[in-house]
Amino acid sequence: MTRHFSRKTLLKWAPLLVLLVLVVFFTAINPAFFSLRNFARIAITSSPALMVAIGVTFIIIMGSIDLSMEGAISFSAVVFAFMFKFLGGTLDSWGWLALPLIVLCGAVFGWVNGMIHVRLRIPSFMASLAMGFVGTGAAILLTGGNIVKVDDELFRGLLTVRYFGFPIMVYVAVFFLLVGAFVQSYTPLGRNFYAVGGGEDLAHASGVKVRRVRVMGFAIAGAYYAIAAILAVGKIGQAESVSGANFMFISITSVVVGGVALWGGTGGVWNALVGVLIVSVINNGMVVIGLPDFIQDGMLGLLVIIAVVLSTDRRSIQVVK
Amino acid sequence: MDFQRFKPHLPWITLVVLVAFVGMVDDTFLRPANLLSLAGDIVPLFIMALGLTFAIYIGGIDLSAQSMANLITVVASVYLASFGWGVAVLCLLVGFGFGMVSGYVTTRLLVPSFISTLAVGGVAFSLAQFLSGQRALNMDAAQRDAVFGWMIGKTGPVPNELFIAAGLLAITLFIERRTTLGRALKAVGAGEPAAAASGINVARYKILAFAISGTLAATAGLLFAVKLSGGAPTIANGFLLPAIVAVLVGGTPLTGGVGGVLNTAIGTLIVAVIRSSMLYFNIQATQQQMVFGLVLIGAIALTIDRAKLRTVK
Repeated sequence: MTRHFSRKTLLKWAPLLVLLVLVVFFTAINPAFFSLRNFARIAITSSPALMVAIGVTFIIIMGSIDLSMEGAISFSAVVFAFMFKFLGGTLDSWGWLALPLIVLCGAVFGWVNGMIHVRLRIPSFMASLAMGFVGTGAAILLTGGNIVKVDDELFRGLLTVRYFGFPIMVYVAVFFLLVGAFVQSYTPLGRNFYAVGGGEDLAHASGVKVRRVRVMGFAIAGAYYAIAAILAVGKIGQAESVSGANFMFISITSVVVGGVALWGGTGGVWNALVGVLIVSVINNGMVVIGLPDFIQDGMLGLLVIIAVVLSTDRRSIQVVK
Repeated sequence: MDFQRFKPHLPWITLVVLVAFVGMVDDTFLRPANLLSLAGDIVPLFIMALGLTFAIYIGGIDLSAQSMANLITVVASVYLASFGWGVAVLCLLVGFGFGMVSGYVTTRLLVPSFISTLAVGGVAFSLAQFLSGQRALNMDAAQRDAVFGWMIGKTGPVPNELFIAAGLLAITLFIERRTTLGRALKAVGAGEPAAAASGINVARYKILAFAISGTLAATAGLLFAVKLSGGAPTIANGFLLPAIVAVLVGGTPLTGGVGGVLNTAIGTLIVAVIRSSMLYFNIQATQQQMVFGLVLIGAIALTIDRAKLRTVK
């Protein structure tokens, strides 16, 4: 009994242990890795990725998958940039209104995604993949392929203004992480995500409105992608149709590395946090220890496999797809 | 008409309707020469999709296909001079080997194929960058024509690539329908625990499915390298998602066990027709991606046979 308990505990904390081992490993090779400056750098790259990962975590808990994030982020980023400019171009005036509006806009995008998935009964992989094309397409259409600059000093404060060494965007990300944790643990919706992921038929039989829960999940994910878009625009000061590029694979990889099972029902936003940090630390660490850049993709692949092997409970698995 | 019996035929009906629709708007589209060149152009995409079909058929996914094709364009360009036609064997072996690694990591280390193939793709990408020295490479034109010229020529009005595609389709169709391997893959896709319980060596067949996927991705890369007379670590980028879409639109859903290589042939043609129809409908370049996405939702909604999906995840 005790042994069983300790194994479970170990598995629960395995992703965090992997993260710690990585930090120790990179620090041992180059002590410069372990500095506030470098941690701030890791936190900055992690912030938008974390928002995407939290969004997709809710979907994965339900046993579905969402591949629309690249399109959703590009679309939200571009709409945000235009709206921000239209409303005055600075947070001083009505420009701030663009922030809540774009989160709403992202939620609507996700809602449409969810409706296509649920109403047309298209598996989420395909529905969201197609919606991703639509999002990227809409971003290309709006910008005509150009870059939209957002250079308001106040808005760029997300990156430039620092407290305790970390820029504001990191605190924004932490705030929405806590919101995500709250939704997950303290709302009926959050518990219903787990119910649907644990067994859809069972959830349905016990009175959970499965379709509504699914659509809500996609809407919340969409809102998180919009927040990621705002942070990504704040980070580089511009929006374009490729603003969302690369977020798809990184975010899903992070979520899985953090210990969220792709078949649903387990894991949560804290796993997403650890997973994002693991991937960011690997990426950052490879640069800091001076690995040639052409090896890095392969190395990331190998380390991710090792991290998944170490950090997921694979004894309980029957089928791996 | 019984709708249940009608459903499996939806993919090719969608294709015929699409072709007829585009043909009505502009009848130059229906000219045999145009249709043949359209079909010839998508052969590398088709071969990649053919491979992906096996991974998706067993309920997995192979995200390494694009990196694999990239790697093979580099391998083919680098070693053509020293190995001659033997480079084709080398390319297929590399594809088979990487596919087996993906399968091994998925089945023995229990890493979901979404992650394992992505990771193996990363390794392939690194290897391609290393071999190519991060440059675009060119093949020696004379040697390419001598060794692989037959791949890209024409027999009468028909591009030779179409014969290659037809040959591969026939082989994969044979594997799917007439071999133990094909039956086993269907069993694994339809229900893995049941397949395992009835004594099928699930892991071995899954590894083989990924190896087939890798081999076909390598074939696509080789053809691509011959067509472009060179290779680079990113030359085939942008192929992966259309290839997945082709498999899905054809009616092989990600849940596995349903669909097959014939579906993929139809799916690839649907994707090709949608893409090229944009020209005939005068859709601006900036609008194409969005229209593609919207048409895709419609096409998928039409072509999936939902009767065989228990829950829609």
